[in-house]
Amino acid sequence: MAAEAQAVVNPAEARSDASEQIVIEARNLTKAFTETVVALENATFKIKKGSFVSLVGPSGCGKSTLLRLVSALIQKTSGNLSVHGQEVDKPRKDIGMMFQRPVLLEWRTAVENVLLPNELSGKITKEDKKRAMAALDLVGLKDFEFTFPRQLSGGMQQRVALARLLQTGADIMLLDEPFGALDEFTRERLNVELMRIVSQVGSTTLFVTHNISEAIFLADQVMVMTPRPGRLAKIIDVPFPRPREIDIQVTPEFNALVAEVRSVLGGH
Amino acid sequence: MTAITTSDDTGAIPGVIQSKESSTAILIKHLLLFAFLVALWELAARMGWADELLFPAPSKIAESIWRIYVTQGNIWFHLYTTFKEALLGCAAGIVIGVALAVAAALSETFRTYLKPYIIVIEATPRIAIGPLFVAWLGFGLSSKVALAALVCFFAPFVNTLTGLLHVDEEANELFRSLGANKWQTFWKLRVPTASTIIMAGFKLAVGSAFGGALVAEFISANEGLGVLMYRYTYTLNMAGAFATLLSITFFAFWLYRAAEIADYRMIFWRSNELMEKKSRKRKQAFLKSIA
Repeated sequence: MAAEAQAVVNPAEARSDASEQIVIEARNLTKAFTETVVALENATFKIKKGSFVSLVGPSGCGKSTLLRLVSALIQKTSGNLSVHGQEVDKPRKDIGMMFQRPVLLEWRTAVENVLLPNELSGKITKEDKKRAMAALDLVGLKDFEFTFPRQLSGGMQQRVALARLLQTGADIMLLDEPFGALDEFTRERLNVELMRIVSQVGSTTLFVTHNISEAIFLADQVMVMTPRPGRLAKIIDVPFPRPREIDIQVTPEFNALVAEVRSVLGGH
Repeated sequence: MTAITTSDDTGAIPGVIQSKESSTAILIKHLLLFAFLVALWELAARMGWADELLFPAPSKIAESIWRIYVTQGNIWFHLYTTFKEALLGCAAGIVIGVALAVAAALSETFRTYLKPYIIVIEATPRIAIGPLFVAWLGFGLSSKVALAALVCFFAPFVNTLTGLLHVDEEANELFRSLGANKWQTFWKLRVPTASTIIMAGFKLAVGSAFGGALVAEFISANEGLGVLMYRYTYTLNMAGAFATLLSITFFAFWLYRAAEIADYRMIFWRSNELMEKKSRKRKQAFLKSIA
């Protein structure tokens, strides 16, 4: 009876079996560009379905390399890497990526940019177009659907890029310092919105950043990485429930986590 | 290899003066100065300060212009010939330049083997090949078109190649992550990205087309503005020669201007005004398609 009540009250709980599924799994994952330049060495981790994982560390720690391995933009040197139980060897439809720059096509309106994933995988349907409009609405760009990238601010351009990512329908989202080039205020606001959107679509998210607070604020788990060679030094669980408020960053619990990440990075 | 002109990012047709009130004042000053210079020249000719046989008075040149366009009307035939040569040559040069550039952009092997020949062609003053073309292709249209094409082909080639090779790495990664194939990446990313610089190459080509055709006409021809110019100078009809020269300048200028306007309209995302227009049009079409 209790289980039944739970299922009615909270559908997310009812899917708790599914949410324990491992979506991405890596064992001794290594990427060496040359014999001496080892970008990532022996990374071993599991990422659960629907979780938000931050990758934090200084330049050269292999966080972008890790993301590009998952997206199959580059190939591993050794070890294992699987997504949904399949070894990764080529770009997958269920993985979407977002970059530090918005990478929009300047000759296309916002909605035409959002439709790019559909266009590249075949024909654009009426449904796709409606979903693209909805995606732009979701990222807060209602009424800007038909503006060109040059007419939008940097933050708005990244919102278009996020809508494009949502449009892929990918359930794994890889974000490579997506708001890194924006000013502090815009970045903070976009982080809060990102968290809301990610919870709404229920995707598994890997988020690369070099900002410790941002990494903790957004994530269920923080993968702390150290450079030369790039190593996964520690995985830290973040116990706060999502979505979160900005003020959580001033709590002692939050600061304790910041201190923990710092101490792991301390030697580097 | 350096062609590539820059008239980018201004958001306006280059050369068009922006602020309105001062532009009238500037125009008046320009006209006054021009009128003064013409008057000075006229005076110099009438007073015999300059040899009128070699430097005809502006009034004589104006008379001559009237004659060749209206009363005698003999320039139209030559104008048509030269325009035909220049435009055909320019088109051929652009087609050849772009085709070679696309092939070179897609194949590294081809690029490597092509490079020394391109360097040799670049080092050769192209008009020096003119007499050879006349010898090979005769006195008619084809030798003129060939020289104009040779003069024109280089800028579109270099610019197209540069544009196609210079692709934003993150944009490339985006397309790969979205599973785009080679042709999709080429048509939807590389070509539009390169279009700005490709169009700059086309403008340079259009700008040099007349020169190529004229030089070929000087070498050997029966018709064309080059022939007319040569005949007038040879018979010491200097007013006629000046009138022809001004005609060449006038038409070459407007041909280049046309290319500039085409460029401005095609690369519409440099201009706010054009973007707003496009935006409205695409909005209508889009909303209609989902209605």
